[in-house]
Parts: sequence; C-alpha cells; structure tokens
Amino acid sequence: MDARLANTWRLTLNEKNFIKTALLSETRIDGRKPFEFRNISINFGREDGSAELQLGQTRVMGIVTAKFVQPYRDRPNEGTLAIYPEFSPMADPSFEAGRSGESAVELGRIIDRGLRESRAVDTESLCIVAGKLVWAIRIDILILDNGGNLVDAANIAALAALMTFRRPECSLGGEDGQEVIIHPPEMRDPLPLIVHHLPIAITFGFFIDENVVVIDPIHNEEAVMAGRMIATVNANGDICAIQKAGEGLSQRVIMQCLQLAITKAADITKQIKAAVEAYNSERALQKIKRETTCVGNNVKGDQNQTLDNRGISELVGKYMERLKLISVESYASQNINAEETKSLRRGTDSNCIKFNSTPLSWDPYSNGIDLEFLKASVASQGLSTASEEKEASGKEKGSEAESAGPYENVNSKWSAVDASTTEMHVIGPKTLKDAVKPKNKRKKKASSMI
Amino acid sequence: MRGLKLPLSQTQRVRLQRAFEKLQSLSAKANSDASLTVADTIPVNYEDAFLKGHGTADLNGELVATVCGVVERVNNLVYVRALRARYKPEVGDVVVGRVVEVAQKRWRLEINFSQDAVLMLSSMNMPDGIQRRRTALDELNMRSIFEENDIVCAEVRNFQHDGSLQLQARSQKYGKLEKGQLLIIDPYLVKKSKQHFHHLEQFGVDLILGRNGYIWIGEHVEARDSMVIDQAKNIEQSTVVEGINQAYTPLEMRQNICRIANAIRVLTSLGFNVDLNLIMETVELSSSLKIDIHDMLGSEFHVLVAEMEAERRSLTTKRKR
Amino acid sequence: MEYVSPEGLRLDGRRPMEMRQLRAEIGTVAKANGSAVFEMGNTKVIAAVYGPREVQNRSQQINDQALVRCEYSMANFSTGDRMRKPKGDRRSTEISLVIRQTMEACILTHLMPRSQIDIFVQVLQADGGTRSACINAATLALADAGIPMRDIVTSCSAGYLNSTPLLDLNYIEDSAGGPDVTVGILPKLDKVTLLQMDAKLPVDIFENVMGLAIEGCKAIANYIREVLLENTKQLEYRRGL
Repeated sequence: MDARLANTWRLTLNEKNFIKTALLSETRIDGRKPFEFRNISINFGREDGSAELQLGQTRVMGIVTAKFVQPYRDRPNEGTLAIYPEFSPMADPSFEAGRSGESAVELGRIIDRGLRESRAVDTESLCIVAGKLVWAIRIDILILDNGGNLVDAANIAALAALMTFRRPECSLGGEDGQEVIIHPPEMRDPLPLIVHHLPIAITFGFFIDENVVVIDPIHNEEAVMAGRMIATVNANGDICAIQKAGEGLSQRVIMQCLQLAITKAADITKQIKAAVEAYNSERALQKIKRETTCVGNNVKGDQNQTLDNRGISELVGKYMERLKLISVESYASQNINAEETKSLRRGTDSNCIKFNSTPLSWDPYSNGIDLEFLKASVASQGLSTASEEKEASGKEKGSEAESAGPYENVNSKWSAVDASTTEMHVIGPKTLKDAVKPKNKRKKKASSMI
Repeated sequence: MRGLKLPLSQTQRVRLQRAFEKLQSLSAKANSDASLTVADTIPVNYEDAFLKGHGTADLNGELVATVCGVVERVNNLVYVRALRARYKPEVGDVVVGRVVEVAQKRWRLEINFSQDAVLMLSSMNMPDGIQRRRTALDELNMRSIFEENDIVCAEVRNFQHDGSLQLQARSQKYGKLEKGQLLIIDPYLVKKSKQHFHHLEQFGVDLILGRNGYIWIGEHVEARDSMVIDQAKNIEQSTVVEGINQAYTPLEMRQNICRIANAIRVLTSLGFNVDLNLIMETVELSSSLKIDIHDMLGSEFHVLVAEMEAERRSLTTKRKR
Repeated sequence: MEYVSPEGLRLDGRRPMEMRQLRAEIGTVAKANGSAVFEMGNTKVIAAVYGPREVQNRSQQINDQALVRCEYSMANFSTGDRMRKPKGDRRSTEISLVIRQTMEACILTHLMPRSQIDIFVQVLQADGGTRSACINAATLALADAGIPMRDIVTSCSAGYLNSTPLLDLNYIEDSAGGPDVTVGILPKLDKVTLLQMDAKLPVDIFENVMGLAIEGCKAIANYIREVLLENTKQLEYRRGL
C-alpha cells in the first residue's frame, strides 16, 4: 500500500475525471485558484518548542526537544539536527501503524534537507565541548490529519516549533573548567536556537497536461496528479532543496514554478514570524507574572532537566548532582539548616518532603513515598514550619498561595506523578493558619492520609 | 545463458573474432541499418497510409520506437521487432510450462510471459480417456494429474479477457513431461516452424521446442491413441506403460539427453538460432570429434561451433545467390 | 579547501564542465531478463530487471497497468568504511522511491496490465553520483529486457563550489557541503523528470547549474544510445536468419 499515495484507492473514476476536467478550466474542487494556498493557522503548546499547524484540513504537530550527545567524528564542533516523522494511522486509513512507509521516509528526508543542509539552524552554536558534548536537536513530526500536502504543513510546523524552542543555557565551569553546568531557566533565560533563515516547502502538483499546475494540492488532487515537485525556498530568493520525480516537465515550467514559490514563501514567512512574535510576547507577559514565584519555575526547569538527562551518560548525572547543590545554595538563605542540606544530599525521599524549600530535587518519576514516611514527615514538618517560612527569603507571604497555583498547573501536565506526591503538594505549601493551629492540621492530615 | 564468459586463449579469441566478423558480413545489410534503439525515429514515408504495429508510438506526429530492435515492414504494417523481449504468444503455439498453482478447476502455468497462463480442467484429457463432464470428484483429484512444479506441454487456445493465455492439452502428445531436462532460453531464438515435436530416433529422445523459450529434452514416450474404444485394452496398456516408467533410465539415454542439452546451451550462449538442423549438426560435430559432454561447454567447442555456423551460413548465402 | 585551482582544474584534474569517463555493459546478469553495469569514473553500479511477470502480491495488482518496483542498495564494500546497513535505511528507501517514480514515468505501463516489473540496483563502488549512475544503469537494463519505454532516461549531477558550476561531482566534491543538483531527463522529449537539490543556492545560479547538468545528461544519452544500438546489431547478426 505504501507504494501508492495515501488516498488513491478511495477515489472513484467519476471523481477523478471531474477533478481533471475542472482543472483544465482553472477551477479547483474546493474553489481555490490554482496558485492559492489554504489558510494557515499556527497554535503553540504549553511547552517551548511545540507547535500545531492547521492547513485547511491537514493537521500536523511539530515538537522540538534537545539532549546531550557525542558529536559525529567528522563534525566535532557542530550539534546535530534530526527529523523523525510519524504517520499516525489516525490521519489516514492507509497509513500503517508502526512501520513508516515510503512517503514518511520521503517527507523526513525532504524536511531534513531543507533545514539541515541549507544551514537554516546554526549548528555550531550548539557545541558545548568540542569533540565531546553537543546538543542534539530532535524534531518529532506527528501527522494528525491527512488533508493533502503533508510536506508543506510538516515543514511549517517544524519551523514554528524550532523558532519557539528554548534550550537551557549551559556554561563551562567547575574546578577544572571542564564540567558543564546547566543553568535552570529561572537563573538564566533559556536560549532560543539561532535560525538564519526560514526554508519554506511549497508543493506543486502537475496533471496530465503539463500546463496545469496547482499549488498546495488537497488529498483528492493528490490522488489524481501525475507528478509533483516540492521546492524548499526562503524569502531571500535562495533555493534550499528541490524534490521532483515522475512526470516530465520542461525547464521553463520549472523555473516559473520556482519564481512562484519564492513569492509564496515570502507570504508564509511573514505569517510564521507574526505567529511566533505573538507567542513570544505572550510568553514574556506570563513570565513577568511568574517572576515573583520563582519556585514554580524551578519545578518546571527541574523537570526539563531530569527528563532531558534521562538515559544519558553518568557524566551528565554527576553534573546534575552538582546542580542540585548549587541551586540549594543559591535559594536557601544564609542560615540554611545543616540538617536540610544533609537531608538533601542523602537522597530523594527526604527531598520530596522538603518540597517548599528544595523544589529542584523533586523527581516526578520517583517510586513514590511511603505512607508511614509521610506521616513521620508531616509530624516533623509541623515543627519546622516556622523555620521554613523564615527561610523563604525575599518572598512575600502572599506569594506562597500563588505558588500553589503553578504547582497545580505543573501537576496536571505530568500525569505520571503518583497520587501520593500530588497530595503532598497540596499539603506542602503552608499558610499562616498552619502555623497557628499545628495540632489540628496534623490530625486532619493524618486522617486524610489514611 | 547470456554472453560469452569463457576463458579464451589468444588463438581462440582470434578465431572467434574472425567467425563473428564473417557472420556480420553475411548478415543482411538491410537488417543492420534497420536496427534502432528506444525513441529513435522510424524512417517512414508519412504520405503513405501505414499501420503502426508493436513497438511503435506516436510522438508529436512522428513515429518513434519504444523498444530496441529491428524495423520490419510487411505491406502497410510497420513494426519494431524487439529481440530480447517477452514471448509474444499466438493462437496454436506449442508451449512448455511449469505448474505454479492448482486453483479451482484450473492449473496456472508459468510460461515466460507477463502473466501466468491458465489450463482449464476441461481442456485436459482425463486419465482414463473417457470424454465426460468433469465432476466435483475430478476437481478434488486434480492433484493426481498435475501437481505444483510439474512440467506440462500444451497449446495456446486463446487469449483471456485480461490478456493472459488459455491453454489446452487435449491431444495425447500434450500433457505431463517426465524423465528429462528443461532448458530456458530467450524466446526470440526459437522460430516458428511446422513441427515443434521432434523425435530423435537415433538417440531415442524427444525434443520439444516450446515457442516461449522453454525447451524439453527427454526420454521418448510413445504417444498413446486416445480414440481407442476398447477400455480393457486401454487399462492394459496404461499399466504396461506405468511399469516402464518406473524402470530405470539407462545411462546412455541420459548421456544423449545431456549432449543435446549442452548443444543447445552452446548455441544460445553464442546467440544463434535454435532449430532442429542446427542442434543435430552441433551434436554430430561433438560426437565426431569425440568431445566429452562436459567439454562441450568449454571454450574450444564454442569456437568450433561458431566457425561451423559461419561456414554453414556462407554456404547457404552462396547457394541462394 | 580549494576545489577548483586557479588554472581551472579540479581535484582529479578535470575541467569544470568535464564529465568522468563512462562505461556501460549490457547483459551481465544471465538470470535476469535485462541487466547492465554502468560506470561513471569510479562509481560502479549494476542493475537487473525482472519482468514483466506475474504479480507476486495479488493485493497490489493494478488492473490497467504494470506495477513497477525498485530496490536500491549499496554493497557493504562500496564505500571506504564498511557500511553497516546496506538497505532499509532512510537514504536507500528514498532513493528507491525516487528511481521508481522516475522509471515509472518513462515505461509504457499500460501495455502490460496485471504484471510486475522489478528493478534491482546495487552500488558496487560509490564515488559520488550513485543516484545518477543507478538511473542510467536501470535504463540500459530496461532496454535490454525489451520493455517498451517512452524514451530513455539519463541522469547526471552538478554542483557549485568556489563560485564555479561543476559537472559530475565525485565523493570529495559532494561532501564539501556545497549544493548538489541531480537531474534526470528524457532526452528526446527534452523534459526534466528527476530534479533533486540540497544546500542553498540563489535562483539564478541554480538555473545555470541545472542547465549544466542537463547538458551532461544529453551527453550520456548519446553514449547510451550508441551502446544499445551496438548491442542490438550484434544480437541481430548473430541470430542470423
């Protein structure tokens, strides 16, 4: 099945003939003109680096993540960029689950050529330690609905995701200047990727008579078309990649299409930039609101940290340990309890309990906490509540209530969190009332625990 | 069996070269001129009314070839005869095929064509020779007549609606082939002739030149007369024949079969036509020179055959003149 | 690194518009219906064609056309370092797809309904331009098998390094990171059927480079036509009458 285009088997002969004859008189079945693009709407997700694109009926999601890897031997000071398309069977009945067909591989390769080989993303800035550690950017493209022209949609989704992706800043430091320190987002703003230009893919469909050319074919037209050409161009008039196989075309027609593609690309570039601007300004606003509750952000940063570093060499694991210590030092006030730090260094269990003051050590995928442990901790917490409050330096008391908010937001995102830890969060943030009536609260908590 | 991949000594190479050159000079010059490749324009007088045949296509008003081959003109028909193309079946051709599938009321045979050919159960004689309607029991016993990978000789009956062939094996000379060797060669080397079944008496060998390039060389089997009314006699005969079949094929017979097969192999690797006369001459050449059977595939014999063919052709052209 | 010396010579001594040496051989795989070996300089490719024959997978049968399948694989020993995965990786899948689409456009598939044509291409030595060599070899093999075609397909690659358009890149020039344009044409119809490009190029320079590649394709077409004609003549006179 993957040898044929996705929708070929669904069209009747009558429909095919109708599409062809309508095109001869420059009419398309959805009413567009031959060189008209469908409406593009870009939505961004909560996370940095996730974008959902809707192009008419086609829906594509692009998600960008980054992690540390060793660089390739022949390019020791460049980061890597990889595209992973996934053709989900829910998009089209002819997509197979699991194994990706030929068209998925082709789509991945076309976008890969357009982004990587045209140097759209600056890979040299992704190098941390030449020859040893670089950032590997992974773009996952998920096709949600196949309404035709997947390549263009996937390309725009990937670009939108890349432009809004932020990677944590890291620097070299430590005793010998060789250790990599990853700074959490609140300390230093996560950095965007350096994107030199935006290569936009434009798909042309050709029908039997080579004079009939359409842009952005929908899935019905794709089943009927004799050949297609995908030109990846940017608004500066550079051609980044071309993919064309099949029906023969004269040189003249190809050059015409390329010129047309450049004009279209300028339009689409503007749209993408506008959407990204809007997202960025909104994000900046949100950031200002949240600046006072750095604790919440810490949690988020830490989550990124732990997830990104999953399955990486111990090298990075070591750095994480260092990281915890550093953040603890920076956030705790001068009069840090010696016990606190010791408890931190011991392990994650106690860290979970000391949620208020040491959020960075919160591990969403931990095994959970013993009920007994919790009871014991609650008992101890009641005692140290007063000291915790004093520790929260530079924070207003009112902010603690607010901090409960972002916690919950964060919680809802991470569904893998155990119920016990969730409950812990609710209990964690203490208000003045707790200080006033410790005994009652303790009893209630104990009962609710059971 | 394509191309000559033999280790040739210097003299052999020279001799072979000379033989080929002789052949080249003998071949009709017209043919050489008429050779063309894909998308070459066919020289045609566009004012004459002509018919476009196989291997041609119309491109912007001019006639081009779609295969590599030789242009043939027969009356008003212009076509390109492709050399190494698929077998082009005609009704009445004798073909040899291999059973690939036993399906409902039919067998599917592979015959070196773009689709498999179909041999209907009703086109096949029943083992007991009686003409009757095929029952469900017959259908279930199809395997006892032909199984997968059996070699069958049949005749082209007609073309089916989807372009594949329908075969029939009604006469006694058609049917399952046993005790022999199957050779697969290019179809263009087997020319259409009146006789495709050859019984070589001096060797006691049957030779069937299938038009589809499948050639059968086997032990001689007496063709039984299907019109015998006496049933008792038939049964007697069939049991006798069975007894012979189970007997061991003598070594000499096998050697004869191999010699003939090798002769055909040599001819195909040299690219010569495969017809009875040529095969017999090659076999006689090999036995007269007392060449061992396996030596027949060696370089010396190839060169000898090439020279012999060159001689023969020059004689025929001289005779024609 | 200097890819074009001031005198105008490339790394292997060619001029910018000079192609590598071509060599073609027909009939190398005896078992196949059509086969060919094509060499462009150090790049050596072997192609085998089987068909038209019965479709093996009934569900894929097309009632009015022939089904064309293509498989591209690189031998383990074809590149300097031993390749770990000769086929099934993304690059091979994409090139198989591209070759199939290109050949499908030139084969007259409606003359052979319900049948299957298999094209197998194997790279024996890779030194840049494997895609082009594969298409050229496939064309030869298809013509050898006597499969009717609209026109032969020839392919060539071109690039742009040191501000010079270069024809027929070899591996070193290809991996320099500059643009690489692969073009496949139908010479008689003068139509472009395959066009692939990577890296960045301004539009006007692209037009030049594409034009250069098309010239290269036409030169290859002449050579291929000669080879096929020679082969046909040889078969004909050997066969005699």
